[in-house]
Amino acid sequence: MKKIILFLGLICFIAMSCEDELNVFPEDSLSVPTFFNTEDDFTQAVNANYEPLRSLYNSTKPFMTEMSADNTYFARNTAFGATETNQDIADHSMITQGGITPNGNVTNYYRTLYAIIARSNQILVTIDDAEIDAAVKANVKGQALFLRAFAYFDLVQLYESVPMHLEPVLDREGAALPLTSEDVLYGQIVADALAAIPLLPLKSDQQPGRVTSGAAQTLLANVHMVLEEWEAAEALLKSVVGSGEYMLMPNYEDAFTGNSDNKNNMESVFEVQYREGAEGVQGNFMYNFLPRPIEADELALLFGTPDAQPINGQGNNIPTPDIIEAYEEGDLREDASIMYVLTRESFWNDGVYPIIKKFVEPHALHNNHGMNFPVYRYSEVLLFLAEALEEQGKGGEALPYLTQVRTRAGLGAHTGDLGDAIFRERRVELAFENKRWFDLVRTGQAIQVMTEFGDRVINNPNAYYFPVGVEAAGNAFTNIRERYALPAGESEFNPNF
Amino acid sequence: MKKKLNMISPRFLLVLVFLWSFSTHAQDATVTGTVTSIEDGQALPGVNVLVKGTTQGAVTDFDGNYSIVANSNATLVFSYIGFTTQEITIKGQNQVDASMTEDATSLDEVILVGYGTQIKREVTGSVQTVNLTELSDIPVTQVGQKLQGQLAGVQINQTTGTPGEGLNIRIRGQLSVSGGSEPLYVVDGFPIAGNLNNINPAEIETLTVLKDAASTSLYGSRAANGVVLITTKQGKIGKTNVSFNMSTGLQSVPQRGRVEMMDAVEFAQFKQEYYQDQGDPVPDIFQNPSQYEGQTNDWYDAMLRTAPISIYNLSVSGGSEKFRASLVAGLTNQDGVVLGSDFQQVTLRANMAFNPNDKVEIGVNIAPSWVVRNDPATDGSRGTGILFNALHTWPIMPINNADGTRTEFNRFPADTGNIFAYANWLNSAERIKNEDRDLNLVSNAYVDWKPIKGLSIKSSINAEFYQRNTEFFSPTNATNRINRPIPTNNEAIWNNRDEFNWLNENIATYTNSIGNHNFSVLGVFSYQQFRIDRTRIRATDFPDDRLPVIQGAINIDRGGTFDEVQESTLVSGVAGLTYNYKGKYLLTGSIRTDGSSRFGSENRWGTFPSVSGGWIASDESFLENAEAISLLKIRGSWGVTGNQNIGNYTQYALVDNNVPAVFGDTFAPGSAVNSLSNPNLGWETTEQFDIGLDLSLFKDRVSFIYDYYTKNTTNLLFNIQVPRESGFSNFSDNIGELRFWGHEFSLNTVNTTGRFKWTTNANISFNRNEVVALAEGIDQVFGPGNLHITQVGQPFAQFYGHLSDGNYLNQADLDSSPQVPGRSTVGSIKLIDVNGDGVITRGGLDDDRAITGNPFPDFTYGITNRITYDNWDFSVIATGSQGNEVLVRHLFSTTNLDGVFNLLKDVENRFRSVENPGDGFYGTTVGGGRVTGIERDWVNDRFVADASFFNIRNITLGYTLPGLEKYFKSARIYGSIQNVHIFTKYWGGPNPEISVQNNGQGDGGNLAPGVDLSGYPIPRIINIGVNLNF
Repeated sequence: MKKIILFLGLICFIAMSCEDELNVFPEDSLSVPTFFNTEDDFTQAVNANYEPLRSLYNSTKPFMTEMSADNTYFARNTAFGATETNQDIADHSMITQGGITPNGNVTNYYRTLYAIIARSNQILVTIDDAEIDAAVKANVKGQALFLRAFAYFDLVQLYESVPMHLEPVLDREGAALPLTSEDVLYGQIVADALAAIPLLPLKSDQQPGRVTSGAAQTLLANVHMVLEEWEAAEALLKSVVGSGEYMLMPNYEDAFTGNSDNKNNMESVFEVQYREGAEGVQGNFMYNFLPRPIEADELALLFGTPDAQPINGQGNNIPTPDIIEAYEEGDLREDASIMYVLTRESFWNDGVYPIIKKFVEPHALHNNHGMNFPVYRYSEVLLFLAEALEEQGKGGEALPYLTQVRTRAGLGAHTGDLGDAIFRERRVELAFENKRWFDLVRTGQAIQVMTEFGDRVINNPNAYYFPVGVEAAGNAFTNIRERYALPAGESEFNPNF
Repeated sequence: MKKKLNMISPRFLLVLVFLWSFSTHAQDATVTGTVTSIEDGQALPGVNVLVKGTTQGAVTDFDGNYSIVANSNATLVFSYIGFTTQEITIKGQNQVDASMTEDATSLDEVILVGYGTQIKREVTGSVQTVNLTELSDIPVTQVGQKLQGQLAGVQINQTTGTPGEGLNIRIRGQLSVSGGSEPLYVVDGFPIAGNLNNINPAEIETLTVLKDAASTSLYGSRAANGVVLITTKQGKIGKTNVSFNMSTGLQSVPQRGRVEMMDAVEFAQFKQEYYQDQGDPVPDIFQNPSQYEGQTNDWYDAMLRTAPISIYNLSVSGGSEKFRASLVAGLTNQDGVVLGSDFQQVTLRANMAFNPNDKVEIGVNIAPSWVVRNDPATDGSRGTGILFNALHTWPIMPINNADGTRTEFNRFPADTGNIFAYANWLNSAERIKNEDRDLNLVSNAYVDWKPIKGLSIKSSINAEFYQRNTEFFSPTNATNRINRPIPTNNEAIWNNRDEFNWLNENIATYTNSIGNHNFSVLGVFSYQQFRIDRTRIRATDFPDDRLPVIQGAINIDRGGTFDEVQESTLVSGVAGLTYNYKGKYLLTGSIRTDGSSRFGSENRWGTFPSVSGGWIASDESFLENAEAISLLKIRGSWGVTGNQNIGNYTQYALVDNNVPAVFGDTFAPGSAVNSLSNPNLGWETTEQFDIGLDLSLFKDRVSFIYDYYTKNTTNLLFNIQVPRESGFSNFSDNIGELRFWGHEFSLNTVNTTGRFKWTTNANISFNRNEVVALAEGIDQVFGPGNLHITQVGQPFAQFYGHLSDGNYLNQADLDSSPQVPGRSTVGSIKLIDVNGDGVITRGGLDDDRAITGNPFPDFTYGITNRITYDNWDFSVIATGSQGNEVLVRHLFSTTNLDGVFNLLKDVENRFRSVENPGDGFYGTTVGGGRVTGIERDWVNDRFVADASFFNIRNITLGYTLPGLEKYFKSARIYGSIQNVHIFTKYWGGPNPEISVQNNGQGDGGNLAPGVDLSGYPIPRIINIGVNLNF
């Protein structure tokens, strides 16, 4: 019997010591308990924090913040089935019910921004305790704060009230949070951007392409512009101007990157980074900004791609007659921004469409290019500063900043009201850079401008790329609203919507 | 003389005994003799020989010989455990040999239960044992195939005929949303990670299925799907026994059940009418359909062949008091009935046991097996499986050129509607290599120590090593895909998988009786580790088809190349008590604790209790006089089991290290957390209640078993979608509830005895299930491909699609009926507006789809009849299933009204005009994909077919050859036919048991069962064989 008791005792002992044996972590991928320790871990984590921006700027953001305004429009391909997702954005005809919409772009934009936020939160919750080099720690933390502020800033401008996650979600219960008011969100955005500024290096000290203190100042200034806190904006923008880190490129068209050169140039404050190739970091936004159908030889002529393939579907983000009209006589930016392509298979008139030229660059691979997409350029810093000063009644101080931008564009002094002139200048200087919709909303003009634009489209559809005899959709411009409804795909899972 | 007599048949002996009985007188004399088993002629050592009415006795030696002093008129009583006791009168002889019959229905029969054995009579759970030797004539390679129809409550479907593959074994209908449903297999006490496919059926001594929770809960977190216990053949004390069995046969695919496609004339006629109805000019090749008379190319038939199969098994066993051994060697050589497919298997098993003294036994079992199998991408969906491709290839496309050589590929001008190039699938079958090479090694080593009477302490080390190397190579002159003109790009995939699983198990049992109280206690501690290493490499564009080696590839496809490691650890303790009072009031209780690395850190240990009881009413005084009743037992059990097939790392938040960025020109690798951790994640829990009745009548001539069970599975592993504001898309949690219940009946009867002996075994099972709850806010989930819905309040995985109601017969009908806006026309399929909103919608909030069918049978049954008459033996095994339906998924090609593929002959009866509306099953061809696409792509109830069947699986006729005793202990020849005939109304293909995944490969699994994509057919096998014992 003794032996048996010994035996049973042994079993108990072994069982106790097994607890550790039961911690089996995957060998072929990292898991949270083994990640977020080293300097390299945090660098890799913050790199991944930029990744969602690539898909955002490839289609969703241009559609929802440019094509939704009066600078660009949708080009109907009547031979192809309807793609309501994009058309509804351009036409302001989204189905909204109880504050939600099933529109795919609205869903994608929302989800992509929260991917950025979740990655920032993962970094921010662990980095303070990490034993890594202080400079690296500050830099990584600054980038994560910037990107979180950036994402929430887009969210609040697009959707007004959204859930606010500041810590990583750990369980199902914590996944759905109530909607947070605009005020609280802005408070957090300002706090994050403010915290990021001293943590981030100057552009000259930062790896090109990552966000900098100048980018954080510009972002925060943009927030203050939206909140009409002109004085605060002015101080930040003056600091960017005074940093000596930025200047305008002599030629407007050189402000935009080539397929592999001229990236993060001296005018660039922040741009979304792409590289052509098979590594999965390429862009394809220019392919999304073309009229369709378009033939292989037509694409080859445009991009110089030897492996061009014909593309079917609908055309998106096509410059409108309105933006073409908006350029003053002699504005060098018109020819740098807009060009014309022939699409033989199109049903619209002679098939010659305007397209966004500022992003057209020769490259090697079909549907795969390396141009960066500008987020903030120095010219916008100058125009923001001019606007902030003008709003405070300091027109005289504002004027030189406006003039600096106009001079490069080959233009002389502005005419008429300075405030109006600055706003008009923003439209042409920053055309197709995802600014127009936000500008219309923050200045309270969105409803009026888009209603008038809608009337023009409905009354003269052929001028807006509808083939002769084809009318705008019956529900076009029937649901113009300053904020997008929340995505239906998310309301299923968040009972607070 | 004695030696000679030994070789003479027992019947001859009896005659001698009879003759000698007249010539002797009553006096004490020494009687000698040999005792053998009547089944295999093997000598029986240790048989008690008693002179009736005296205490005089003897025991047979290793050669079965005995010697006893007895009166010449006395009677000798031969008794031996497991054999029927026999009495023989000496009648003056001095040589009395006995042949003893194994007593299969003996009440003292001992059967295998979890972690031990138990007297069958005293078992309180639902346990069924199969005698595989009775099934040895079935010419199949997989154990599961032999078990079809033998077990109540166990549904075994052969979902594909691919050699060596495709059995879906499900005990009591168990299901899960995400976890597997395969039972746990325990081989010689070792729960293996693999399945039954690598075990040669000839190695198996007994196979026991544990069904109720009281029987299975000893296996805790792995037991919810039921447990199959297998013991392999062990050596017995006695003479060396050698047996050799071989069978060889021919396999072919019966005509019955094949999909009836159009022949060349019918197809050309269809195409002609297609263009005429459309108002388009008819292409030249369809101008004169009758020109194709007698020129049909039946591509499907051409892919099939009559193929040989041979199975050889050699067994040697024997032993002494100190050492016993059993060796089994098997060889299977099978060509597949589809061109290019084949299967070879070599198995070995050596089981050895040493008894250095009467308290210790040391044993070692080693069983390696090798398999080489080739299957040239036979199964797949439209465009990827060569059998499916062959089925719908135009019958006017030539297989052979005029000179008799094979065509390489076929394509007609685009204006004929032939939008895809078709490779010659016969070439594909022969040229594509898709070879698995398996090595499987299961081994056990143990020490069993019995220090005092009743106590056994057994410690074992067990290891399972499994390696599968798969090599796929598709050369430039072959493809399994449609629309790839030859030559095409070559492609190779290597898949190497190593699995290793080891177990240390320590079992203590103590059995004793105190008065009328009989009890046995059990304690187990075990530690098991699992590891899988897998490497996959995909490479393309080899300059030379003869050298498909990695270093020769121009491209190594990074997306298709990866390494994977899977590991887990399981630590368990079991305590059990079996108690009975006077052998008629039975009680069993057990508890198991499992700690698994798969479970979250906050939920590491699971506890699985069970209790069961039984009452042998026939032992009570009030039934003692009921002569007819030999056993009446009522039993009940309750227990909790788990399913730990939840993935090894599901609990962890994993980091995806392929989230790169670029900064300027610098590529920057990035990593992001891509899943949520769940430290509370655990096993799926199944609570089962079982009540049963065992009844034996007329001295066991009739035995009947009934069981009713009900199970509730809760804590289902569920991937719940979460709002993306979390940065994640889903969260794995234990949530939801399924309910199962069912009835099982088994009836065994001995219809006649004596020279003409006829026995019948029959069983029938009714299994039902219902989804009680899924996750909060989620009341339905779709299967892969959206062909199935699992919905709260309904049975699991029902077919899902539109309901149809013939065609729109004319304009008035169209105008007055709900339509698919812009797509419905006169003659197109009329779908039912389920939600009554006046429009037919697919998907979204206004979805008009509904449940269209049920893949689960109302009941399944099996019936086996065995007859022996003198040297003849005859058996018929049949199985059936009633009420199950199959989704004939291949109709999306084979009834595609655009004429892109060959069609079912039945499409001749389609709608052609208002005056000629057809039989209401197929719509108009006019209008192109906008119209026909609805019928093709919007899966509707026309795709659902009744797949009830009654299958005569096997008929065997055997004859034991007399007069060969000089050479053999016994010799028997037999002939058998496997898959004799299937009686079924199923029209979608030859196999009503089919179930494939959405990609046409592998079993459809829990969420998407019963889909037919025209996979590998199951052959009929006509077979002859011999059994020789030396």
